Amino acid sequence: MKLRLLLLFAATSAALLASGRAEPARRPRYGGTLRVEIGAIVNSIDPSVAAVNAEEARAKEDICALLGERPGTTGSLAGVGGSGAFRVAEWDAGKHLTLEANPSYRGGRAFVDSVEVQMGRTSRERLVDLEVGKTDMAEIPPEEARRVSEAGVRVAVSRPDQLVALVFVPGHAIPDNAREALSHSIDRAAIVNFILQKQGEPAGGLLPGWSSGTAFLFPTAVNVAAARNLWAQTTGSLRIVLGYDADDSLEQSIAERIAVDAREAGGLLTAVALKAGASGDEDARLARWGMVSPHPGDALAGLMAVLGPMAQVSADPPPPGATPQQVYDAERAIVGSYRVVPLVWVPRAYGLGARVRNWKTPSPGEAWPFADVWLEDAP
Amino acid sequence: MTFRAKLFLLFTIALLLSVGIVAVGVTAVTRRALEDSSRAHSEALVAQFEREFDRHKQDIVHRVEGVADAEATVRMAIDLSRPKVDVSVYVNDARGVSQSHQLNFLDFASDDGSIISSNESPARFGYKIDWLAAPQNWASIGAFLMKVDTQDGPSLGLMSVSVVRVGDKNLYVLGGEQLGRDFLASMVLPSGMRALLYLNLDPDFQAADLVDESGPVADGERFREFVEQERAQPGARTFRIAWTPDRASAESFHALPLLGRQGELLGALLVGSSDRDVVLVERRIILLAAAVAAMGMLMGLLLSGWGAARVTRPVRKLAEGARAVSEGNWKAHVEVKGHNEIAQLAAAFNRMTQQLSEQRERLVQAERVAAWRELARRLAHELKNPLFPLETTVENLKRAKERRPEQFEEVFGESTAILLSEIDNLKKIVGRFSDFAKMPQPEISTVNLNETVRGVVKLFESQFGAVGRPPITPELHLEEGLPAIQADETLLRRAIENLVLNAMDAMPAGGVLMLRTSHQNGDVDLEVSDTGSGLTPEECDRLFTPYYTTKQHGTGLGLAIVQSVISDHGGRISVESESGVGTSFYIHLPAKAPARPVAAAIEKPPSNGE
Repeated sequence: MKLRLLLLFAATSAALLASGRAEPARRPRYGGTLRVEIGAIVNSIDPSVAAVNAEEARAKEDICALLGERPGTTGSLAGVGGSGAFRVAEWDAGKHLTLEANPSYRGGRAFVDSVEVQMGRTSRERLVDLEVGKTDMAEIPPEEARRVSEAGVRVAVSRPDQLVALVFVPGHAIPDNAREALSHSIDRAAIVNFILQKQGEPAGGLLPGWSSGTAFLFPTAVNVAAARNLWAQTTGSLRIVLGYDADDSLEQSIAERIAVDAREAGGLLTAVALKAGASGDEDARLARWGMVSPHPGDALAGLMAVLGPMAQVSADPPPPGATPQQVYDAERAIVGSYRVVPLVWVPRAYGLGARVRNWKTPSPGEAWPFADVWLEDAP
Repeated sequence: MTFRAKLFLLFTIALLLSVGIVAVGVTAVTRRALEDSSRAHSEALVAQFEREFDRHKQDIVHRVEGVADAEATVRMAIDLSRPKVDVSVYVNDARGVSQSHQLNFLDFASDDGSIISSNESPARFGYKIDWLAAPQNWASIGAFLMKVDTQDGPSLGLMSVSVVRVGDKNLYVLGGEQLGRDFLASMVLPSGMRALLYLNLDPDFQAADLVDESGPVADGERFREFVEQERAQPGARTFRIAWTPDRASAESFHALPLLGRQGELLGALLVGSSDRDVVLVERRIILLAAAVAAMGMLMGLLLSGWGAARVTRPVRKLAEGARAVSEGNWKAHVEVKGHNEIAQLAAAFNRMTQQLSEQRERLVQAERVAAWRELARRLAHELKNPLFPLETTVENLKRAKERRPEQFEEVFGESTAILLSEIDNLKKIVGRFSDFAKMPQPEISTVNLNETVRGVVKLFESQFGAVGRPPITPELHLEEGLPAIQADETLLRRAIENLVLNAMDAMPAGGVLMLRTSHQNGDVDLEVSDTGSGLTPEECDRLFTPYYTTKQHGTGLGLAIVQSVISDHGGRISVESESGVGTSFYIHLPAKAPARPVAAAIEKPPSNGE
C-alpha cells in the first residue's frame, strides 16, 4: 500500500505539473465505475489477433496493458493475461467492454471498482457526453481541445508525441526537387496555429524537441521562394496526388492546406480521400505515428521500423543506447531524402469528467492510467 | 408536240409557278415571323436573366451585409482590433455563418486582407487577398462576378464585399453565391428553350466548363468554335448549331458575356432556342401548300385540258381543212363560230379554198381547151401533109384524063402508087396516135438492164455509122454486177430506143452517145447523154408534154411515151441540158415495179432541158 501511495503521489504531482492546475490534496476513494468512451472499435482483445487499423491497435494495446502487465519500452506486452490491474467482466466485441478491478494485482487494487468502455463513439458524441457529464474520460481530437476547454470541460493534453508526416509512395517517379519543393512550400506553423488550434508543434524532424533536443536543427519555416525555384525545375505539368484517411478530419484539413500551399508556391497537388487501409494511385499519403518511447533512440527505432517498409527508407536505425549524434544522423538521413516530410507533432488530448481524480496523462509507451484514477463521488 | 399539248404544258407550268410562288412566299413570311417570335423569346429570356442577375446581386449584397451586421462578426471585428490577437480561433467560423446566411462562398479577412476563415477553401487561412484591402468604396460597387478558388477547383461566384470597421481596423466580409447549375435551375424557361452557362475557368475551352441545370452539356465540343469567339472578343452574339442533318434539330443561341470587376470574361450565358417549332410549322405549311398545289394542279390539268381543247379545236379544224386541200380536196370547208381571230382565220381559209377551187376549175378548163387545140393543130398539121399530095395526084389524074388520055394509063399507075403511099402514111399517123392512146400495161419479168441497153445499141449499130451521115460513137459504161429488176423488158426497150433515136436526131453532125448504168440499194439508174446542140430551159419544161416536139416532123409523143413507161414502172425520169454541150436523160428504176402503175414524177432540171 505504501508503494501504491508513493506512486499515487508521484503521478498526482506529475499530472499537476502537466496540466498546470493544482488540485487540492484529497484522500483517494475506492469504488465507483469509471465511464470511458473511445472512438476505436476493438474487435478482439486476444493479443494474437491482429488489429484492423492503427486506432484499434492503440486501444487494444491500452486494454491489454490493463489486463496484463504494462508493456515494455518497445510497446510489446511483457506480462501474462489476467495479471493486470483489471479483469474482463463483460465483453461485447466492438461495442462494449467492462473491466473489474483485480484485487490480486500486484501493484495494488485499483481505486475504481470497474471501468466501462464504450467503443466506436464519434468525436462529436464523445464531446457532447463530456459536456453533459455522461462519461468520465474520453479521447478527443487535439484540435478540439481548446474549444472544449473553453466550454468548461477538463482537458488533459499530452506532450506532442504523434508525428503527422507526408510519405511518398515508393515506385512513383516524383523527382527529388519536387519532393523538396513540396517540403519547403508547406506552412507548418499555420497548420499548428489554425488547424490544430495551437495544439502541437511544427515538425522538421522525426523526433519532437522535448525528446531529442535537436528538433531546432530541422527547419520548419515555409520557404516559398525556394519552393518556387524547385517547382520550376520540374519538367512538364507534374501533379502530385496526396492521399489521406477519409475518416480522419485532421488529415483532411492538413492535406487540403498542403494543396493550397503547393499551389501558392507554383506546384500542383491534389488531395484525395482514401478509405482506411486502402491504397490508390496516390503519389504520397499522410500518415500518423505515435512514439513508442520518450527516449529518442527507441522512438526513432520504432518509427523507422514502420517507415522502412512504408517509404523504403534505406537508413539504418540507431543502435540501442545510441548517442544523440547517432540519433541525429539517422534522423537527418531520413529527412534529407525528402521521402518522408515531417509536418507536425500532435499531442493526445483527453476530456475528463469533473469527478475524475488523479489523472496522469500517459507518456509515449504508457497505457491508460485507470488503475491510479479515483472518483470524487465514489461511496 | 401539238399546239394543244403546248398550250396544256404552258397552262400547267403557269399553274405550278403560281402555286410554287405562293407557297414559297407564305413559307418565307411564316418562317420570318416564327424566327422573329423565337428571337423575341430569346431576347426576353436574356432580359429576364439580366433582371434575375440584378436581383441576385441585390440579394447577395443584402446577405453579405447581414453577415457583416451579425453580432458574431462584430465581436470578431472588435477582437481583431486588439493587438496580438489570436485569429486562429475564428478559422472555422465562416462555415457556420455561410450556412446560416445561405451563402456558398464566405471569407473573413483581416485588415491587411489575410484570410481568417474561409468556407469554400478552409485551408486558405493566412493567405492574403490583396485587392480586398485596397482602398475602395465597396458599398457603391455592389455585387460582382469573380472567379473563386474552392477545394473542388475554380468556380464562378457572384460576390459582394462588406466592411466592418472597428477603430482603425477593418474586417472584410467577402461572400457570395455560386453561379452554376442551381442558378440556371432558378430561371424559368419557356418550352423549347434552355440556358447554358459557360465558366471561363480554364486556359482553354473545356467542354466540362459548359453546364446546364443538370450538369455538363452533352456534346459540348460543338460549342468550342463559338465559345472561342466569345473568349477572343467578349460581346453579345448569336449563333446556330445543327445537331443533326435534320433542320428541326438546329438550335439558335444568344450569348451574353459575364464579365468580372476588371472587365475580364469570366463566363457566358447561352440562351438556346430550338428551331424545331419553326421547322415543324414550316413543314406543315409546305405540306399544306403541296396538298393545295396538288389539288390546284388536278383542277388546273382539267381546266387547262378543257381550255386547250377549246382553244385548239378551230385551229385543228383549220389544219384538217388545209390537209384536205393538200390532198386535193379543193372544196374543203371549215366551220366558223364566233368572231375572234381564229374565226376570222377560218373564214379567210374558206374564202381562199373557194377561190382556189374556182381558179383550178378555170385552169383545168383552159388546159383542156388548150390540149384539144394542140391536138387539133397537130392532127391538122399531120393530116395536112398527106392530103396535099393526094389532092395534087387526084388533080393530075383528072387533068391527064382530060388532056392527055394517051398518058392516062401511065399517069394513073403513078398516081395510084402515090395515093397508096400517102394513104399508108395517113394510116401510120393515125396508128401512132392510136398507140399513144392505147399504152399497154407492163408485163413484169426479171430484166437485166445492161443486156437491154446492149440490145438497143446493137439494133442501132448500123445507123451509127451509116454511109452518107456523120458517125455517131456509142459509149457504154455499164456497171458490172448490176442487179436485175422486175420490169417489162419490151416497154423498157421501147423507151430506151426512143431516147437513142432522140439522141441521134439531136446529133445531125455526129457525136458521142453515152449510156451509163449504175445501182444503189437494189435500184438501178440509167443515163443517156448526147453531145447535140442542147435545149433551152423552156423546152426542157415542156419536153414530156404530149404532142410537143422541137423537131420538124416529130409527133411529140416519143418522150411522152418514155415518161409513161418509166412512170408505170414506179421510176423517175429527168433531163439536164446545156446549150451547145448536149443533153442527158436520167432514169431511176426501182428493183421491183409497183403492182399498179403510178403517176410519174417529173423532176424539173436545175438548168436547161430538151
